Amino acid sequence: MTNIKIKSKNLNVYYGDKQALFDVNLDLNEKEVTALIGPSGCGKSTFIRCINRMNDVIDICKVTGNIEMDGMNINDKDLDVVSLRERVGMVFQKPNPFPKSIYDNISYGPKIHGKGETKSELDQIVENSLKKSALWEEVKDRLDEPGTSLSGGQQQRLCIARAISVNPEVILMDEPCSALDPIATAKIEELIDELKKTYTIVIVTHSMAQAVRVSQKTGFFHLGKLIEVGKTEKIFKNPNNKMTQDYITGRFG
Amino acid sequence: MNIVLIFLITIFSISLFFYGKSKTKTISIKDNIKLNALPKFYGYYLVLWCSIPALVFLLVWSLFEPVIIKSIIIETAANQGATFNDKNEANLIYEKIKAIHLGTYFGDIDSILKESALAYAKFINLFTNSKVVLIFGIIIASVIYSLKKIKNNNKARDDVEVILKGLLFVSSLIAILTTLGIIFSLLFESIKFFSVINIFDYLFGTNWSPQRAFVRDASSITAAEFEELKDAFGFIPLIAGTSFIAFIAMLVAVPIGLFSGIYMAEYASIKVRRISKPIIEILAGIPTVVYGFFAALTVGPFFRQVGENLGLTVSSESALAAGLIMGIMIIPYVSSLSDDVINSVPQSLRDGSYAVGATKSETIKQVVIPAALPGIIGSVLLAVSRAIGETMIVVMAAGLAANLTINPLESTTTITTQIVMILVGDQEFDSPKTQSAFALGLTLFIATLILNYIAQRAVKKYREKYD
Repeated sequence: MTNIKIKSKNLNVYYGDKQALFDVNLDLNEKEVTALIGPSGCGKSTFIRCINRMNDVIDICKVTGNIEMDGMNINDKDLDVVSLRERVGMVFQKPNPFPKSIYDNISYGPKIHGKGETKSELDQIVENSLKKSALWEEVKDRLDEPGTSLSGGQQQRLCIARAISVNPEVILMDEPCSALDPIATAKIEELIDELKKTYTIVIVTHSMAQAVRVSQKTGFFHLGKLIEVGKTEKIFKNPNNKMTQDYITGRFG
Repeated sequence: MNIVLIFLITIFSISLFFYGKSKTKTISIKDNIKLNALPKFYGYYLVLWCSIPALVFLLVWSLFEPVIIKSIIIETAANQGATFNDKNEANLIYEKIKAIHLGTYFGDIDSILKESALAYAKFINLFTNSKVVLIFGIIIASVIYSLKKIKNNNKARDDVEVILKGLLFVSSLIAILTTLGIIFSLLFESIKFFSVINIFDYLFGTNWSPQRAFVRDASSITAAEFEELKDAFGFIPLIAGTSFIAFIAMLVAVPIGLFSGIYMAEYASIKVRRISKPIIEILAGIPTVVYGFFAALTVGPFFRQVGENLGLTVSSESALAAGLIMGIMIIPYVSSLSDDVINSVPQSLRDGSYAVGATKSETIKQVVIPAALPGIIGSVLLAVSRAIGETMIVVMAAGLAANLTINPLESTTTITTQIVMILVGDQEFDSPKTQSAFALGLTLFIATLILNYIAQRAVKKYREKYD
């Protein structure tokens, strides 16, 4: 039986007067890939941004309700956001490497958290992160080159390596393949399969095929509500809800 | 006379506009034809045809009329028996004749002058009359031509577009040509200067005392005088003073401007930003002369007082006072430009940094500023070129003596101050002293040009990176 890593209870999110999420109750299993699907603007991204408190960046955003990781309340006002984000990494829709060298892109996180005090420790972290993100072989001879000089798919794997570098427990992926071509996408999906052995992964995606390929559990969002959640196979073969059925068969969205 | 003519042309054009508009309308209704353009385009067409040829003619005429009259009059005066040895004397006689005609000449009038003045009056009259006749002739001809075109239902819209394009082209041509003219006049005067003073003596000399060349005609300089002038035009103290004051200004403006830019872009709430950004930009709108007297009357004496209390000798026109005030003047340039570049660093980079657990200040220091750095450098360079070209503050608050010093409490001078000092008051135009102002201007122009070029390259490169 798998453990529940993250548990949300009656989670509501407001952007100013507009409510973006309505009473979302969703459990994420440890060392599993959970896919969140649904039409644009349905609240999938808003939900995963609650898990690492990225919504704090937006002034007008207000979050109520409960969201817990290993029993710790993420939404607690006194929570140390820095250490939360050390435990919950994130990969964004568009590859966003820093305008620094490949090496510095990876060592940025560990340095901030005071990991890797000696050069050799840092080198080790960089190497391990790049190996885990399947980029090491491609870049090991040009670690001083700027991260922005890599191709789109490589940049996204660099961003995954950056997320891994601080050794998180959870990785959030917000449409990580939407800016990539099919070959780069296939590589990332392969990588996700590998990463789920170590990390709990939540992936927001617009591609239902991708959700089927990479995830074990799928949640369907619509207009800020979690309509249905269950095993991926079940959601795509035999959903309980009519709306889910319509969405996965391409009748709207 | 010219104003009356321009007024008449304007009135005439406006009435033609309405005439053309209604005329074409009636034609289209009466003959039941589809016009090739909206009626108002026929109006514009008439207006342009009526006004442009006449105005261009008037302009050309006004440019050449005095020149032609002058040469005719000087020739008649010579025929009357007037004697003059060179151009200057001829000019003098012409001015006398003009003054007699206007009734403002109070010297002796001999028969030659009297006759010439009568001839002058005759020519002026003739020219004015023919000008009026010709202008009306042109207007009538062009209006008849354009009315005929309109009756044939021409493509007035296309023609108007072509004429407007031509007007815009001419305007930009004028802008470019005047700039070129300024550059060439700088260049030619500087060449004259460098034919007297060796360019290396100028560039590497350490002594600046141009008053030694006062009232000395460059064309009749003797070898002994030349030796004496050789080291009077050393550029080094001026560039040193200019860079020194600009450096002090940057010491003030870069940190304060950059930090306030960061605050505005990253920390200030929308409300604070909305109020404080215009206030900072008001600083840029204060006339520099106001900064100048603030520096000269308040800050300079204050520093001297403080210096005295500390037992230091502070000149009341210190580089420190001038640099400090200049720095304050430049703050808005740095802050506003760096605010813009920081704002255009994509949010995704900040998100990426926050997502690995970086705090706001870590993100700014390690991700945002490095990403914005080329743009920030560009804005600083623009501020530097603004600082070295700034005139009013240094004229009022920095000294006049060209001391080669690195003591900020002493007075120094700048390139711009010296240009002002050289050209203020009555000047012999061909003295090397006066010409040195053009050499200084040219040097300053080249220096700012290079700085601006580098700055714009930096900013552009930065834009390409994120667009």
